[in-house]
Order: sequence, then structure tokens, then C-alpha cells
Amino acid sequence: MFCALFCWLVTTQLAVAQVTVSGKVSDQNTGTPLAGATVKELNGQGGATTDDAGAFSLSVSSADATLVVSYMGYQSQEIALSGRKTVDISLVAGDAALDEVVVIGYGTVKKKDLTGAVSVVNTELLRDRNSQDIVGAMQGLASGVKVTSSGLPGQQASIIIRGLGSLTNNAPLFIVDGMIGGEAHLNPADVESIQVLKDASSAAIYGSRAANGVVIITTKSGKEGPMKIQFDGNVTSTNLPRYDLMDAETWKRYDDLAYDEAIRTGVAGVVSRQNHFDANTDWQEEMLRTGVLQNYNLSFSGGSKSGNYFVSFNRMVDDGALYGSGYDRYGFRVNTSGKKGIFSYGENFVYTKTDRKNLNGNPWADFIAISPTIPVKDEANPGGYGYGNPDRANNYGRNLVAMQELRPQDNPENLLKANVFGQLSLFDALHAKLNLAYTNYSGVTNTLRKSGNWTMGQGNDAASLGFENYRSDDILIEQTLNYKKRIGRHDIDAIGGVTYNTFFGQTNWITKLDPLVIGDKYITSLDAATGITTAGGSYQKARILSYLGRVNYAFDDKYLVQATIRRDGTSRLPETTRWGNFASFSAAWRISGEPFFDVPFVNDLKLRASHGTLGNSSIGYWDYQAVINTAPRAVFGSPETKVLGMTQSRLTNTDLVWERKTTTNVGVDAVLLDNRLTFTAEYFHSKSKDLLVYLPILMSSGNEGGNPAVNAGSLANRGFEIETGWKDKIGSEFSYSASLNLSRVRNKVLDLGYGRVEYYEFLSKAAIGQPLGAFYLYRMLGVFQSAQDVENHKNSQGMVIQPDALPGDIKYDDYNNDGIISSEDRQLVGNPWPKFEMGLSLGAAYKGFDIGINGYGRFGQDVWNGAAAAAADFANNQNNFNGIVPWTPENPVNDRPRIVFGDTRNSRGDQNRWLENGSFFRLSQIALGYTVPERFSRGIGLERVRTGVTLQNLVTFTRYTGLDPEFRDSGIFTIGADNTSFPNPRSVMFSLSFTF
Amino acid sequence: MKRYIVYLTGVFSLIVISCDESKLDINNENTISTGNFWKTEADIEHGVVAVYNMFYRQGTWTRNIYTQMQGMADDGVSLAGWTELNEYAKFIFTNYNFGEVNTKIWREHYIAVFRANQVLDHIDDIPFSNEQHRQDLIGQVKFLRSFYYFYLTTLWENIPFVLKTSSASDAPEQKTPAEVFAQLEEDLNDAVSKLPATRPESDYGRPTKGAAYALLAKVYMQGHKWQEAVQCLEWLVDGEGKNYYDLTTDYGDNFRNTTENNRESLYEIQFSLINRVGFDQTDNHLDPNAQLGTQIEMNQAPVGIGWNNVEARRWLVDYYKREQTTDGKNDMRLFYSVWYDDAGKDFPERPDTLIYGNNWRADWGKRVFIKKYSTDENPIYYWNDNNFRSLRYADILLLYAEALNELNGPTPKAIECLNRVRQRVKLPAIQNSTYYDGAQIVSDKAAFKEHLKIERALELSLECVRWIDLKRWGLDDQATINELKSRDSDFNNFIIGKSSRMPIPQSEVDNNPNLTQNPNY
Repeated sequence: MFCALFCWLVTTQLAVAQVTVSGKVSDQNTGTPLAGATVKELNGQGGATTDDAGAFSLSVSSADATLVVSYMGYQSQEIALSGRKTVDISLVAGDAALDEVVVIGYGTVKKKDLTGAVSVVNTELLRDRNSQDIVGAMQGLASGVKVTSSGLPGQQASIIIRGLGSLTNNAPLFIVDGMIGGEAHLNPADVESIQVLKDASSAAIYGSRAANGVVIITTKSGKEGPMKIQFDGNVTSTNLPRYDLMDAETWKRYDDLAYDEAIRTGVAGVVSRQNHFDANTDWQEEMLRTGVLQNYNLSFSGGSKSGNYFVSFNRMVDDGALYGSGYDRYGFRVNTSGKKGIFSYGENFVYTKTDRKNLNGNPWADFIAISPTIPVKDEANPGGYGYGNPDRANNYGRNLVAMQELRPQDNPENLLKANVFGQLSLFDALHAKLNLAYTNYSGVTNTLRKSGNWTMGQGNDAASLGFENYRSDDILIEQTLNYKKRIGRHDIDAIGGVTYNTFFGQTNWITKLDPLVIGDKYITSLDAATGITTAGGSYQKARILSYLGRVNYAFDDKYLVQATIRRDGTSRLPETTRWGNFASFSAAWRISGEPFFDVPFVNDLKLRASHGTLGNSSIGYWDYQAVINTAPRAVFGSPETKVLGMTQSRLTNTDLVWERKTTTNVGVDAVLLDNRLTFTAEYFHSKSKDLLVYLPILMSSGNEGGNPAVNAGSLANRGFEIETGWKDKIGSEFSYSASLNLSRVRNKVLDLGYGRVEYYEFLSKAAIGQPLGAFYLYRMLGVFQSAQDVENHKNSQGMVIQPDALPGDIKYDDYNNDGIISSEDRQLVGNPWPKFEMGLSLGAAYKGFDIGINGYGRFGQDVWNGAAAAAADFANNQNNFNGIVPWTPENPVNDRPRIVFGDTRNSRGDQNRWLENGSFFRLSQIALGYTVPERFSRGIGLERVRTGVTLQNLVTFTRYTGLDPEFRDSGIFTIGADNTSFPNPRSVMFSLSFTF
Repeated sequence: MKRYIVYLTGVFSLIVISCDESKLDINNENTISTGNFWKTEADIEHGVVAVYNMFYRQGTWTRNIYTQMQGMADDGVSLAGWTELNEYAKFIFTNYNFGEVNTKIWREHYIAVFRANQVLDHIDDIPFSNEQHRQDLIGQVKFLRSFYYFYLTTLWENIPFVLKTSSASDAPEQKTPAEVFAQLEEDLNDAVSKLPATRPESDYGRPTKGAAYALLAKVYMQGHKWQEAVQCLEWLVDGEGKNYYDLTTDYGDNFRNTTENNRESLYEIQFSLINRVGFDQTDNHLDPNAQLGTQIEMNQAPVGIGWNNVEARRWLVDYYKREQTTDGKNDMRLFYSVWYDDAGKDFPERPDTLIYGNNWRADWGKRVFIKKYSTDENPIYYWNDNNFRSLRYADILLLYAEALNELNGPTPKAIECLNRVRQRVKLPAIQNSTYYDGAQIVSDKAAFKEHLKIERALELSLECVRWIDLKRWGLDDQATINELKSRDSDFNNFIIGKSSRMPIPQSEVDNNPNLTQNPNY
């Protein structure tokens, strides 16, 4: 490779004379100069920005070059210089949507020339979002893109494009400035543009890594002109939603009832009520606080004729709204590019340093599990914290405060990403590019375990120090050759290339017992721990080699076709099957370009269709190799001797092949009513086969250490997406916009692995012809009101179905009519998939004021409320919600059984009692901004001053009784299970930004 | 122009350079791959040790099997604060996928079977320097596999039966207990022929011929094959085995960590605190430092001290006290088996009645806690190193008496075996019992059998034997269940035809077309 690089450098000793052009850009109607318009050379690097007088100056490669002039809200224009050195350009307002340039991977295309399904995220809207990761910030901004954020500081949101296509990995591929990945540590303020490639033909150039779609993110670059300094600061106050849990007094009343019922019905070992602790602890109050998140960005950018730069610093401190959590980030970025003659180069360098305090336990489960009578501190216990006691609170709930204080864990990470490319352009048409990218990640997890307990029945753990180190190197080398030329009415853009990616990761850990303690302070250096040391480590390696090619051809701007092929080889699949070829094809017809098409209110109309296949091999490093576990030990003899054992623990399938996903997409794009209305509709159908999945296998196989990867079955997704937008002005001062996106995805299992026709998990069943994750549960019919009622619940043969039930117990449906309630009575009772999803944005600006409202919703899905299931019926002395009305003889309700300690018969999780309608619509953002009029800001030496306030997640319309209808699911087979997930925070953000 | 062509050629040559496809061949060198293993005698020896390693798991003999075996039987009860756990020990099975008990015990037993099958499938292909060594190892693994299957079929009865190294797509066939026992009989007979009668001290923990005979006898007894059982037991009691095995003088020696691997022990699971790493690493199969101790003590220690997942039923105390020893004292087996409120009074010669440093606590009331295998170390540790005596000579003697009685009534040999067990703890010979009708017991087959049921309960209480016994004696008539109810109210939940076997983990039934859920679940 070094040799390659050397050759490359040798070939760049070349320069061509430059020409400088200057001119002025103005509005065609009013003649007003346009400040801040971009002027670039077609196919060239860099560019210039017009000054306040609309003037620009730019060096171009030849006197016959073509300039591209663009400005927000105006139609872009191409102007051939034809030898001129000065040009005045007037732009027509309104047609921005069409001339937008879209990045499609190893190249760009004008939006109007797109043949595949691509969503462009309006990055203007990111400005007012306080999400600390770019993925979370994209929520609701593109159709067919489902973003679910997590409420935990430093944890990234999850993103799925067009439903589940795979059973292992549904995350799209992120390309940040041409590098794979890195979105996790990206500072949203650095982002210039985001495009989402949704169908096979758009994503095809990324081949095997792109089956779930591609998100291409480009960070900012400097523009020609004097240095611009921009500062953005914002402070956000966040709060997490709380359960409405009982306080100690209320709880004791119910708990005594539950004990009385246990005594009355003869639950073994229960002879009296609990001798309650005296405390009244609000565990939510102990753990939750108003989080303050501060985020500051400072950037410097600018450029000259031969190059430009963008440098930014970011500092973020998130105290976390949960006691014991926190996240802290420093970011530094340098983007530069330059050009000399036929040679151009660019580089992006990012360094990010983060520190995360890890939270112990899941508070949303633990809040429910622990009794409110338990005190936070209890000197009688080792470590001094309160927890259950068989006599006073017979409860295994964990003391969350103790968990944070007895086991602090922090996780500093460093991420360095750098890429550099060089490009050689010949004959104005042939561009050869070499791109080198390097990512270095290193992270450490430090754990201190102090002595002390946080739950009943915990043994006396020794104090220990844990140190775990993880580092990885990722190198990407890409060589591409691009031919781009317009010959008469023929437009050709062809690219071919090779990419090679190599990854190495290594983990090492050490645990040492008995750290030294001085007073009550633990010394956290490993040298200061005096006990037994245990250690371990392993490494991971992976490589991918790919060949790619794509041809775009357009005739007369009306007939557009694109063909892509990619050949991928991966080290993650066995030698015989590791190569896969993936091809796709797409075409579009711009009807509005035809002479016969003459509809005055239609500015642009295009039909498109695509079809293609992509592969997926995102499985473990060596899933096809069976290995020996060398950890087992046994003891023999007297005196005891430890003896080494070895065995195979994990089963493997050695015949793994590429997972393939074939997608067909048809779409229509229209621009209407003087470019004010844009409309895009898509219909797609995809079919995945040989799905790679860690499908659970039978326990009787003796497998352990994870289920083996298998090519299991086939899955179909079909759906449609509609994106529509309206943008207009009333007078010269008031502008407004609205956009709506709707999508619907249905999935269906076509085939399951290992020859199975059904696959079950605790709450769900996947069967051929059914959607994944359909709820498969016992059905509650009501509550037995009397002994007579129990007797009357019979099957068709007259058998009493639940003879042991007592009044107040749940009456279940004997689905198979065999006279008993058994596992055969489970039935399909719910669908976790939304009927449709919706995103809505509204915006308006008047003088210096602007307002933006974003909302999104999902409708028609069933959700399993895990918190309600966990709180059920006092069987384990757990807490419960205020306002519950259990069955009692005096108050014989029919929707909630009696409460009883020590008896779980009514509180099983796999019943439809916990299913709810999960539909919701949420106003995720309401952002107000004010830009100080230029005449004032200039007065204090600032170019632009803007201040704003954003309300996030404050309003949600839903009937779901759980904390948050928008949650991260606990796995693809239980997609609708809200298993006490972290709720999304509600927040208010104040921001200030100025440019000078 | 010519220059451009040179450059272009340079560019294209780069593409060629980067296309070395052999770069994709990377081997996982974090450990050995299976293709390079199972080649040598040492590999097989390591494979055998990995089967023993399965004793040290939560679902096997570290903890949960004790709760379940004792809790279901009438000598134990679970009043654990974890309701689902205690319901499982009371025949209240709501969630068939209950992880802590049902799936964990099931899964870890099958892991042991998988490990055993790997050895058996490879051992014949590998050259051994000493053929006897190979035979010994085959014997050990067949013993261990039979041992695990014996408990699987005791708990669930109708189980998938796997005798070959698994592959991921397997959906093994379900077998009845009779079919399983037939295979175990064959394997254990083979083990008997291959295992040595004695082992050097350094090999304690590996089964001997006597251990295989004892387990084989248990299998035969469960199938009511009395004649075959007698043949095995005869070897142990009257044959060669009597040279190696005997009752210890002190009954308590069977439960102490200072008197392990004694003459009364036929098979003993070896526990150790060598890997005392300080925290709960029991079930981490990839950790070479995972615990090799047992949590039996933590699992059963009294409420407020240990987890108290299982404790004893009060009737045991009453039954022990029904008979006095020949020197007019209480049965020492009571003292060694349980902790209860009146121990100080009942055993005045044993002033040490503290329980982990505590006097009997008022809130313990009339509860009875399990003392067998406790070290009484204060403060209690998660683990201890007390070996679990899985097959004990007293058990063998009583089985021998039972089998002989089944064949020919209470023969002198049967009575002698019973009396050996009684007289070790200074109880009078049954004929001279001050409480039982000795004359009838030694003359009537049914009476003798009924007395054995009591004698076994008292001699072998809380040692995970009782549930096996109850199943052998039958749990399908209402009279038996009523009698059990009188001792253990858990049997109020017992449904004939259902509760004598646990529900098979539902995920196994759902996803294996060859497996049917046990009746009535």
C-alpha cells in the first residue's frame, strides 16, 4: 500500500494555469444583491461566497470553465464562462428543491436526476435540537426512517430504515465524510448535510454493508472569503418522567391486604403481616434530578482560491438526570481541502474525548421492584445501605443509591478519525481519487467495587478493582476512477474502484481484589490492591475487499438510467462462500421534460423505478469457526488439585453464506405550483433470504455462549412513503413552510431457519406468513367474581377449566377447549407493528423571528407494558401504581385480580392483560428563535446573532399508560415489548449563537 | 497527452496492487479450533475434565438442584422471598420458562451431556499409550452422562435423549423414562466393567466401579428391576465392595468438609475454594477462575443469614424424636440434619447451639433449617468447599434392604442392612424398637417397606434423595398424596398425573417438533 501511495504522489507533479473570474450575484426580479451565495466551478474543488454586495472572486481551471451558482431559496444556475473574466449572474427565486445536490456515495447527483429513493434531511432543523447524537437529532425528519432515542446520557438512539430486513443487524451504514462509521461521536453542530439512501439502487455502491440503507453525512467545510467565527452555546434542562408509585403509607395499606389475603388463602409460610420498616422512601426522588446539559461550539472557517478550512471545538457536559450517570465530551475537528491545477486534496480530522459515568442497574425496573418502606441508609447492613429484610420488607428490590455509590464505574474513551484524499482530474472528465481513512479507538472501563450490599441475600463480596481496556484500529483504502462528461445531450457519469478495509481490535481486562482503603477512601490504583489478580484478553480481526462500479447515463435530462455492481469478499464468511456479487439497476423518466407535457402548475414531474440486490454479513468475526473453550476446571483428590479441562461450548454452522436482500422501488417526484409544493411518493417491496441470525437453538443441544449464526429463512417487507412539503412567502417579511412524511411498512416471515415453521419466544411467535414478533399470549377473559363463577367457567364438554381458582383470580380463555389452561391456550393477540408512522414539520419566519415545530407519531401498534407486568399484584412485595383498583369482595372489578403476597398465578407476564394500544403523537420539538437585525448586530461587530429556546418532548398524545410510548425494544422477536425501557427526557433548551 | 497516459497507467496499476484476496484468510487464534482438537490422549483427558466441570454450575450442584429436589419432596419446603422460586418447589408452575430453576437446571444438564458426547464420539479414534486408561475414561464419561440423565429424567421424565455430539439444527426425539433407563443401564454396566475398584487419593472425585454399581442400582430400583438391583447391591454389600465401603462411626462425618472421601462415600462431588475470586462468577463458562465451590450452604442457611431458598419441614423433628437411642438420648441424626428451636434442650451434651453465631431467633419460630453440609462459618461466605456425598453407603444398605424385601420379604439380610444403619446412630435393632412395631416390621413385607420409607427419610433427609424415593414408591394414588399432605402442605397443590414431573421448558417444546409438553401442562 505504501508503494501505491508513493506512485500516487509521483503522478501529482502537475499543474495547470489558473484563471480568476469575478462578478456579482443578484435577484432577477428585484435586482437586490445576494449575499452569501455560493459560486463554484463545475466539477471543481472549493468555491467562493458572495459578499454583502453580492460580489465574488474565484479562481477556475480554465477560461472555458462553467460556474455553478447557488443560493438558498433560489434556482441554481450554470454559466459557461466562454472566456469571460467577469460575469454578473441573476438568480430566479424558488427552485431550490430541484437543484439540490445529493450525495449518493462516491459522487453526487442533482436531486432532479435521482433515480433511486433518497431522503435529504433538512439540517437547518438540527440547529434547534438538543440531541447530543446525530442519530437522535434525525428523528422525524425523513420518511421511512424510524429513530428511537434512549434517555440515557451517552447512549445513542437506534435507527431503522424501512423496517426490519435482517434479523441480526438492522442499523444502516453510516458514511461520515467518506469514512465508515463515526456517527456515534459526531458533533451535530459540525454537520453540513445528511442524505438517507433507502433503496437498493441508491445504496448499491456500498454493497454488502448497505442492505439496511445508508446515511451519508458530510461535515462542514470553509467557504472562500475572510475568516468566519461562529459560536453556538446552549444549556438544556432535562427531566425524566416518573412513575406514579405509591408512597409508604399507601403501599403498606395494600401490602397488608395482600398479606391478609395470603393468610386467608393459606399461602405457605405466611402467618402474619409484615413488621414494616418505618421509612418512606421515594426512590425516584433519590435517583432523579434535573439534568443540566451544556454544549458549546466554536468554529473558524474560511478559504482562499486554492483551499479552505473549517476548524471546530466542541465541549459538552451532561450531568445526567439520573444520579450516578453523566457524560462529558470534548471534540476537535479540522476539515481542509485544496486544489492546485489538476490535483486536489481534502482531509478531515476529528478527535473526540469522552467520559461516561455508567449507571448500575435499570432504575425503571428497580423503582418498581423495591418497597417504599425500605430506608436508603441502614447502619445494620454491611455497607450501611437499606434493603429488604425477611421480617420487615421481604423484598429483593435493589437499593439504587447503594448500587451507584458502592460500584462506581467510569468509561473514558478516545476516538481519532482521520481521512485524506487526493484527486487527479484529467481532460475535465476523468477523476482518479485515492482516499485513505484511519480510525483509532481506545476506551477504558474502570470499576471500583466497594464492600457492602444493596439487596437482600447478597453474599459478602470482596472489594475489588476492575480495569478493562479496549482498543481498535480501522483502516480504509479506496481507489476510484470517475469519468464524467456531457456530450451533446448525453450525460455520462461512470465510476469504478477498489476498496479495502481492515480492522483490528483488542480487549484486555484485570480484576484485583482488596484495594487499600485509607479512612473511607478507596485507592483506585491496581498497585494498591493487595488481593488475588485475575486477567484475560482477546483480539478481533476482520477484513473486507470490494470492487465497485456504477454508470449513470442521462439522455436529454429526460431519460435517466443507473447501473451498479459490487463484488465483496469478507473474512467473516468461510473461504468457499466469502465472495458475493450484488447488482442493481434503476431508471427514471422526467415527464415534465417532454415537449408534449404542458401543465402550467407542474414545474417538474419524474417517475422512477429501481431493482437491486444487496448483501449482509454483519455477524461475528469468526462465526463459522468452531473453537475450544479452555476455561473449564475441575477439582480432584485429596489434597485438592485443580485440573484443566477443554471442550467445545458453542456450536457453529460452518456453511454460512451471504444474506441477500432484493428491493424493488417505484417512486414519483413532483414539484408543483411555482415550485412551492414538493411531493415524493415511493412504494417498495423487499425480500431478504438466507438471513443471518443468531436464532436460538434448543437447550437440549447443550450449546452455550451464544446461539450460532445461521442462514435462517426469509423475510419480506413492503410499504410506501410519502413526503410532501409546502414553502411560501407572504409579502417580503413573512415566510412559512410545512412538510409531512408518512410511511407504512408491513413485514412477513416467508421462511424460518432449521426447517422450522414456527419460532417462539416468551411473548411472541413468528410463523410463516405472519409478521415478526406477533404477540402470542394467554387471553384474560375477566376476573372470577364468585365460587359459582369459577364453577361456571367450563369448556364445551362441561369440564371446569380452572377448578382451583378463587374469587378474584383471573379467568383465562381455554383457547383449545381441552378443559385446562395450558401452554396450548396461548393465542395471537396483538401486532407490534405500527399501521403507519408520521413526521410533521411546521416553520414560519417573520422579520427576525422564527418558529419550528416538529412532531412525529406511530399509530396502530400494540405494546406490552413491562412496567405494569413487573408491578403486578404484590406477589413479591414490589411497589405498585397509585390508583390501582384490585378485586375485592367489596369492590368486585373485572379487570384486575385480587392482590396476594406469595402467589404469582395472576401476574404472569405472558397474558394479554399487559397489552395496550401504543399509538402516540408527540410534539418532539417546538423551537422559537430570534435573529437580531443585522443593523444592530453589526453595530457591536457581529455579523449574525441568534437566540432561541427549544422545548423537547413536552407534549405527547397517547393512551399508553407506560412511561413513554417511544421506547427501544428488547429484540427483534419482541419488538413491541416495553421492558421497563429508559423513557425519553423532557427538556427545555436555551441557545445563543453568533457569527463574526 | 503522452504524459497523461503515463499518469493514467500509474493510476490503474494501483488498483491492481490492492487486490490481494488472500488477505481475507484470517484465523481465529484466540483459542484452538475444533479442527485442531480431539487429536491426542491429552485432548481427551481435558474433554473429560470439562464434563466434571459442569458440577460447578447454578443449575446443577452449585445451588438450584438442591432447592428443587428438596422442595418438591416432603422433607423440604421453600419459603423464599422470591415467590416464583418458592412456587416452583410447591408444584405451582406458572411460567414454564422460569429461568432460575426450570431452564437453568435443564440447560446445564444438557451442556454436561454435550460435553460427554464429544468425548465419547472421539475417544475411539485416538491412539492411547495405555488401553486401560482409555477404558477408564470411557467409564468415567458414561458414568457422568448417566448421572446427569438420571436427574433429568427424575425431574422431567419425558426428555429429549441425545447420545451423539449435537449440531445446531438437531431436534432430538423424546424418550420415556423406561427408554432412558434402558440406555443408562447399558452405559452403567459398561462403566462397571471399565472403572477401577479403587483410586489413588489424587483421583478422588472420579467414579469407581462401586460408584457405577451404586448409580446402576438406583436406576434399576427406579424401574422396579429388583433382581438386577440386588446383583449390583450385593457386590457393594457382600461382594468385593465390602472391602472398600462401610458406614462411618460418626454420622456427622458425612457432612463435614474435614472428613471427605471417607469409607461411606461411594460418589462424591468435589468442591473447593481454590478459585476464591471474591464475586459471583459461578456461571461464567469462559472464566477459568469461575468458582469450584458450592452454594449449598448459602442456599439453605436460615432466613436473615443466607438466601433461605429451601428449608426443612417440621415433621422431621417430630419423627426423629419418636425413638430414643439405646443410651436414652435423642437420635444424633436430628442434631446433624437440622437447626430448630429446641436443639439445645434435646441435645444437652452439645452446648454449641449457636447458628452462624446467632442464638435461635424469635422470628424463626417453629421453622426448621437445613444443617447438613453447613460449615457454620461466620460470617457465611457465598461458597464453601464441602463435598456433596451424592451416593452414600447408608443409602446403599437401605436400597439393598428394600430390593431384597421386594423380592422375598424381610429376609435376614434385609433386616441386617436396616439395622446396620440404625445401630450406627445407637438406635436399637428394629426388632427391639421402643416405638415401632419391630416384630411386625421384620415379618411383614408391606410393614417392612413402610418402615424403610421412614428410615430412609430420617437417615437421608435433605440429601436430594427423598424425591427419587417418592417417585419410586409411586405418586399416583390419592392415599399416598393424602399422607404426604399431612406432612407437607405443598402436596395440596399436587395433581395426580401431572405434578410428579415438572413442565418441560416451554421454549424447548415450542421449538422442537419432536417434543411434547408433559401431560396436563
